[in-house]
Amino acid sequence: MQNILSFLILIPLLGSLAALLIRPTQTSLFRWLALIAVTLQLILFIVLVSNYEAGGGFQFVEQRSWISLDLGSWGTLKADYFLGVDGMSLPLIGLAIFVMLIACISSWNGVTNPKGYFSLYLLLNAAVVGSFAALDFLLFYVFFEFMLLPMFFLIGIWGGSRREYASIKFFLYTLLGSILILIVMIGLYLSVNDPSGSGGLVHTFNMLHMSDPSNYISNTILDPNNIVTLGPFSARSWAFLFLFFGFAIKLPMVPLHTWLPDAHVEASTPVSVILAALLLKIGAYGMLRIAYPIFPEAALDFSVMVAVFAVISILYGALTAMASKDLKRMIAYSSVSHMGFVLLGLASGTTEGVTGAVYQMVSHGILSAMLFIIAGVLYDRTGDRLIRNYSGLAGKMPYFFAMVLIAFFASMGMPAFSGFIGELMIFLGAFKSNAHNGLIHESLAIIATLGLIFGAAYFLWAIQRMFFGTYDVKGNARNSILPDLNNREILMLFPLAVVTFIFGVYPQPLLDLINPFATDFVNHLLYQGRILSPHL
Amino acid sequence: METFSFNDGFLALCLFLAVVLPLVSCVLSFLTSDRYSWLIILNAPFLLMLATVFATIVTVSCWNSGGGIIELPWLTLSEAEISANIFVSQTSLLMMVVVLTVSFLVHVYSVGYMAGDANPRKYFGVLGLFTFAMLGIVLSDNLLVLFVFWELVGFSSYLLIGHWDEKPEAGNAATKAFLYNRIGDSAFLIGIMILWSGTGTLEISALRHQTFSWQTAAALCIFGGVIGKSAQFPLFTWLADAMEGPTPVSALIHAATMVAAGVYLLIRLHPVFTDTALMIVSIVGAITALSGSISALVQFDIKKVLAYSTISQLGLMIVTIGASGPQAAFLHLFTHAFFKACLFLSAGSVIHTLHQAHRRDHHHFDVQDLRNLGGLRKKLPVTFLTFVISGASLAGIPFFSGFLSKEAMYASALLNKDSFSILIFFALAAVSFVTVLYSFRLIWFIFFGDERSGGGTNLKESPVIMRVPMILLALCSTWPIVSLNPVGFSGWIAGEIAHPWWLTIFSVTWVGVALATAFFLFRKSPVASNAFVANGYGLDTAYRFLFRSSVDKLASIAEVTDRKVIDAVIHASAYGHVTLAHIIAWLDKFLVDGLVHVFSGTIRWIGSVARSYQSGKIQDYILYAILALIIFLIWLL
Repeated sequence: MQNILSFLILIPLLGSLAALLIRPTQTSLFRWLALIAVTLQLILFIVLVSNYEAGGGFQFVEQRSWISLDLGSWGTLKADYFLGVDGMSLPLIGLAIFVMLIACISSWNGVTNPKGYFSLYLLLNAAVVGSFAALDFLLFYVFFEFMLLPMFFLIGIWGGSRREYASIKFFLYTLLGSILILIVMIGLYLSVNDPSGSGGLVHTFNMLHMSDPSNYISNTILDPNNIVTLGPFSARSWAFLFLFFGFAIKLPMVPLHTWLPDAHVEASTPVSVILAALLLKIGAYGMLRIAYPIFPEAALDFSVMVAVFAVISILYGALTAMASKDLKRMIAYSSVSHMGFVLLGLASGTTEGVTGAVYQMVSHGILSAMLFIIAGVLYDRTGDRLIRNYSGLAGKMPYFFAMVLIAFFASMGMPAFSGFIGELMIFLGAFKSNAHNGLIHESLAIIATLGLIFGAAYFLWAIQRMFFGTYDVKGNARNSILPDLNNREILMLFPLAVVTFIFGVYPQPLLDLINPFATDFVNHLLYQGRILSPHL
Repeated sequence: METFSFNDGFLALCLFLAVVLPLVSCVLSFLTSDRYSWLIILNAPFLLMLATVFATIVTVSCWNSGGGIIELPWLTLSEAEISANIFVSQTSLLMMVVVLTVSFLVHVYSVGYMAGDANPRKYFGVLGLFTFAMLGIVLSDNLLVLFVFWELVGFSSYLLIGHWDEKPEAGNAATKAFLYNRIGDSAFLIGIMILWSGTGTLEISALRHQTFSWQTAAALCIFGGVIGKSAQFPLFTWLADAMEGPTPVSALIHAATMVAAGVYLLIRLHPVFTDTALMIVSIVGAITALSGSISALVQFDIKKVLAYSTISQLGLMIVTIGASGPQAAFLHLFTHAFFKACLFLSAGSVIHTLHQAHRRDHHHFDVQDLRNLGGLRKKLPVTFLTFVISGASLAGIPFFSGFLSKEAMYASALLNKDSFSILIFFALAAVSFVTVLYSFRLIWFIFFGDERSGGGTNLKESPVIMRVPMILLALCSTWPIVSLNPVGFSGWIAGEIAHPWWLTIFSVTWVGVALATAFFLFRKSPVASNAFVANGYGLDTAYRFLFRSSVDKLASIAEVTDRKVIDAVIHASAYGHVTLAHIIAWLDKFLVDGLVHVFSGTIRWIGSVARSYQSGKIQDYILYAILALIIFLIWLL
């Protein structure tokens, strides 16, 4: 029971190794292996949830010494194998396993070279779950980097016609972010002391120690009591900015987002699903877990900047989605817009806003999975993604139309679906912020509501063009027959629709998980931030 | 507000069933397989009838109980609680009965009207959802929960307007309706944010007693939502386009659900509105009422006349709320629900019978165009009768319900004796006058005169299943529904509103004058249309010019920025790096390696020079030894 998180990571990792041992000719064995691994994970996750006690703080903590090096007069280098879940990471781990299961079903048929594909898929699975569970910065960084590699190959080998360009762009972009994070990680390592270490100086990667200002070694570069100024900002502000932009690439935030549409358009459906539903969440997760708690005063200082970037992302993403002619590209840009809401909730520094941000992460994970599967359904049948090449599909594919209605309306923030709860709380928090803690102005929340109108506009226009009118297909789709959803597609779309509906109508269980985390997060942010900040 | 509890568990069950049965109807419709879709046309009206009966039982038993709140938790955040409390009062209970009655009759009527439709499951399913969503708006006490249902109403209306999805116009109209509503709803959402930030609660019963900062702004933002939903100036054009949906749906949208929701919300939230906000509300209402009625006068499409008439009647209600209070407006909302539903169903009956005739005769013309109709009173006697009764009610002719509610609105406008109220009174009178004109015009050109269309020889009256709802609604358009006194509006719904003695005489005379004017104006022909007035005062064109094109432009700018600016920077930096790498590679090859080559070449040369002395010949070595010896000797000496 106590090692349940390790098992969640180990199962796919072992699966990945096992896949390497199977002969490549036994093609159908690989998908069964993947399915069994994810199912086991799901069962373990259910056990995890049922033993989780609602409340703040970390549970299922595992801490073992991993690296311990005596550096003589430099002290000791210490990195732990340190895992744990709280109210934010638990829902995200659940989301990861659920989406991985859907992605596994989505890649059930027609994958060339399944050996490589499924072993990379399982490796990615382990890395994603590991990132959400790691509490040691070095361990997190290892998992974080390990996501990059399988994703690079999954796009670059199993992708579309411009897959090489897309995968290299994706890789270089995210690598840039990783480097920024690495620099801060080293700085933190040099500045933070493990208080439990006996007497001598123990440099640690423990994130929880990093967020406690009393653990900093005096006169180090990131010591909050010893403000080192480099150019316009203090060293701690620089560190926050590095982390922020490092994770913002992953989020992705405008203007660091252009890897996303290319990667999505070129990736195959299951890879797109994982990319949108999970990898983008790591960006937001990093901000919530690392950038904000460790540098609360810098986070408060830059909250207006963060909020402005958030609003720009919301509106810019929605506008670009409106101008997209390719369905998958439109959906990719809608992700940019929706992740902007997460950023806005974060910037508000209110309980509502942060709860909403985490809620929106989970909700967007489910909805983006649904949207990309929808795009995949059409592409599988016709090989054509251009919106203008379709019309009148409503009568031809009624079940598909029903699923599209649910996914599109849920994505535009329709009540009774999960997206509404998240966005609503973000709006309430963002608007309240000025009166409550003075971080961001009300006008930002008001401008962001334009995103709701734009969001409705591009989704509705897509429905109108593709589904209303008389049935007609052009372009590559010209000669295709368009049968309605098959059982496998229903098996993927229906559970997603049910989950988004449940989270939209009865959000309390999920809120009970997230809310204690959000309360602690906001208290820490405002309390420590105000103490540490030189001018607040 | 005190909590409300039923003294009988049965009543609680009734209320629950009344709300949930439409949803059950929706779910059942979607679960029924295509093969048994005929079951739905029995099942859906039956469930709605049950719901109506239950709602009536609750309403009758709780009418005098004072009302209150039934507490129902929904979600809790650490600091605050968002409840899904149910608001029970005479207003909400009565509205529930109205919604369910009209919806039930529309269901029954639809069985006839939609016979042979390709997709009855979707139609009846969404109709149930629509009704359920409206009941949610009527009963919820929390503004956020109300907003949930508010959006759900928008969603179901989207599906219903776009029901005939092969028609591109239907898709257009549905998109437009939802988008215009979305614009209003974003304002509504901002209003909710202000309320939440200012008061920390969203319960209407708690908000009614509070004052807070930004109150006028909050009120106006919420009114923005009303403008969208209740089709007020300047967002009213979607309602006219929404006529692309099936006619029974129009009846439902215009009578009891959707557009009524905005007025109902305004009635509930009236105490939150400040004086300034109320003044703006009444000005917007007045503009809508006047422009809507004038536009109704020049339309040729039957359904569009009715659509603009709804816009103008809603404007009247909103003027009244803004100027003097919700009581009279609620009375008009109540009477309007019945007579407008009846008008739409009767219009639907005309359209339906003519369509049926077409199908038999293979003779086609636009059956909704007034210019093609005429003289139908002999062939469609029942439709004629219900149309005239409900039209008379709309026009405000004595002995019909509309007369009484209009009288109540006049009376409440005269309540405050300032100049603004007088202005409002004149506006009301003017709109009433125009209402008589267009009602007369509509009925005259459908039912009187000569038959202008061909192919009317074998017209048959609509089936019984359509006629019965029309007749029932026509009965509900007469005076006893309001009060037993045909000239006094204070009855079981509205209390007495103090009004001068001459008011009744005035309104009767005013209607008489209007009728006479209408007769002389329209006896011969419908006046020539004015394209500008008929097409919603060019508002759509203006929006297309102002917003659609600018948003499109912004969107393409964003898209181009993505490709040409952000990606260009990235590509440039990538090319820069690659170029740099090539330069370094060149330097490596020619400069660094060159130096190394020079160095090693030198060594090799020295080596080869040195090697050349190692010839291996004994004579050379003796020569070198002698030379060395000579040099040594010279140096020594």
